Amino acid sequence: MDIRKVAILGSGRLGRGIAENAASKGYEVTLFAQGAGSQEAPQKIENRLNRKLNKWAITESEKRVILSRINYTSDLKELENADLVIEATIDHFYTKQELLRTADRICKPNVVFILTSATLNVSDLARGLSRAEQLIGVHFIPPVTEVDVVEVSHNPFTSKETIELTERFLNRLGKKPIYINESPGLVNPRALITLINEGAYLVDEGVANIYSVEQILKASWGMEQGPFEMADRMGLDTILRWMEQLHTQFGDRYAPAPLIRRFVRQGRLGVKTGQGFLTYTKDGLVDYSSYEQEEQ
Amino acid sequence: MKIFVLNCGSSSLKYKLFNMEDESVLADGKVERIGQENAIVTHQSTGKEKVSKTMPIYEHTVAIQECLNLLTDPEVGIIKSTKEIDAVGHRVVHGGESFSESVRITENTKEILESVSDLAPLHNPANLVGIRAAEKLMPDTVQVAVFDTAFHSTMPRHAFLYAIPFSLYQRHKVRRYGFHGTSHNYIAQRVGALMKQDLGKLKIISCHLGNGASLCAIDGGKSVDTSMGFTPLEGLMMGTRSGDIDPGALSYIMEKENIPMANINSMLNKHSGLYGIAGASDMRDIEKGVEENSTMHQVAFDMYEYRIRKYIGSYVAAMNGVDAIAFTAGIGENSPKLRSAICKNLTYLGIEIDEDANKQRGQEIEISTPKSKVKVFVIPTDEEVMIARDTLAIVQNK
Repeated sequence: MDIRKVAILGSGRLGRGIAENAASKGYEVTLFAQGAGSQEAPQKIENRLNRKLNKWAITESEKRVILSRINYTSDLKELENADLVIEATIDHFYTKQELLRTADRICKPNVVFILTSATLNVSDLARGLSRAEQLIGVHFIPPVTEVDVVEVSHNPFTSKETIELTERFLNRLGKKPIYINESPGLVNPRALITLINEGAYLVDEGVANIYSVEQILKASWGMEQGPFEMADRMGLDTILRWMEQLHTQFGDRYAPAPLIRRFVRQGRLGVKTGQGFLTYTKDGLVDYSSYEQEEQ
Repeated sequence: MKIFVLNCGSSSLKYKLFNMEDESVLADGKVERIGQENAIVTHQSTGKEKVSKTMPIYEHTVAIQECLNLLTDPEVGIIKSTKEIDAVGHRVVHGGESFSESVRITENTKEILESVSDLAPLHNPANLVGIRAAEKLMPDTVQVAVFDTAFHSTMPRHAFLYAIPFSLYQRHKVRRYGFHGTSHNYIAQRVGALMKQDLGKLKIISCHLGNGASLCAIDGGKSVDTSMGFTPLEGLMMGTRSGDIDPGALSYIMEKENIPMANINSMLNKHSGLYGIAGASDMRDIEKGVEENSTMHQVAFDMYEYRIRKYIGSYVAAMNGVDAIAFTAGIGENSPKLRSAICKNLTYLGIEIDEDANKQRGQEIEISTPKSKVKVFVIPTDEEVMIARDTLAIVQNK
């Protein structure tokens, strides 16, 4: 089956990133945006492309082409036109399951569903769906357009055709799929959460301040973003939700550091609220000036 | 004998059908926006009405099939059956070090082309798609690959090596390959014919100035140096490409702007050159800006002209002389202002331009005066006929 029209459920950072990536590789994308903040999705995608344009990563005409390939809707009926569905909503089991069951009823029978959950198993979400053999888990690592590897996991029923079709799609996106066994938290989210949590403990214990921890880890491991910036970009509420789910699954080693709970309680959720571990400018860039003053 | 010449890009293709008895063009056309539901097909058979239509075309096989349908169409076509096509000549951008001349395509050829695809990631994969599609549609027809790089395979080692650790050449074949070879070869042959002299005794500088631009030093009919290098980015200033730049500046820019190498590649290929200086990549817009006294358009024009002149000077030194300079491709054929500016500053070579002759655009003409010590020509390039000739030669030698 030839994939031309890709439907993405969820217009958060992950959904927008996949939409931009797929559109830049020639796919026609429909981004299903519902709920709070969904109306901002088109502007956020355009803002991101503008930042890329300003840094010469794309041209003005490439930007226009990418934008022209992304349509926005809140009407799930439009799923009937999709050749591939990518589910990229928040990691809430019952919300996801209900959405997938609705999509299952609307979509053409041969359509493959890619599930992007970091902490939920494909097998668990497959229950009650008519297309268990067409379900596959792909964890895109943000920022989606820049990270070349994806973690792929499948349930015991996933068909060979589904795996092959998904691999072809991912290759066209410029991704290298790495196959892993199904497990909550996969590889990258589990390792990342551990790093963020340990960083938060270091701050809480007064070993070093936020900026120092961020600087040391970022520079010593050659990271483009340190663990705190990554956490802020993903949203501390998302990080906390992941930790709680992994805490349930694996026990105390994923118990969220008190600092993270405190920030979420205070509404310091990261880039989206202007402050998380770090402080951000209106354009979503780290505001280093406050830390530089602190250092002086 | 009829030869079908195919030039496949990632989302477009161009074709020409030649009657090789007199090298006449029987038909030509193109398909744009392959992969989309509004692909545009344009076709014209000689002496017949031009056809243009929009239709969904999602892959190259379908695009080529559509071209073949038009070629064999009773009303707008020119042949009765694709069986009349004796061979297909494919333009292939990069042959790596493996191909120093055109070859008949075999499974082995395709494997080698796959292996050098990373040297021309934007072009070679598309060329291979075209080859596979043409093979599928015309399985009994000879398929020939003609390489942009092949003409430069005669460059001596001191010209093609970069002064970086030799192990990088040994391990990864990092070296100057050069491009536009088919065009430079055509120009050399035409200069030989126009001067009525043995090409083996001539020193020629061919200036292919299109949106991409390169110069080639041709001594005795062979390429001895060319301005494009490992990729088509090196050398002259181009429409949106930077040409030569100190690599040391790049790491500085990366650090200052906090951008990765991918952005640098995009910046140098798509945001630089004439566009980077004046905000316009088309020489016609640059010249218009110059007429309107725009400072940055003038700067862009001067930079563009200066760099060509500098390369001409270096190739005179490389060959220890020059008998002819030829201008070709979009800008080379159509910008008297640029040709004049270049030649006015080459009087030390004894070059003298006939300004009236230089006013001509897009036609084969000598623009130097009889007194000029170096002949200067404008020669519209014809890469397709060169591909067709090479294809014919291979078919006849089979």
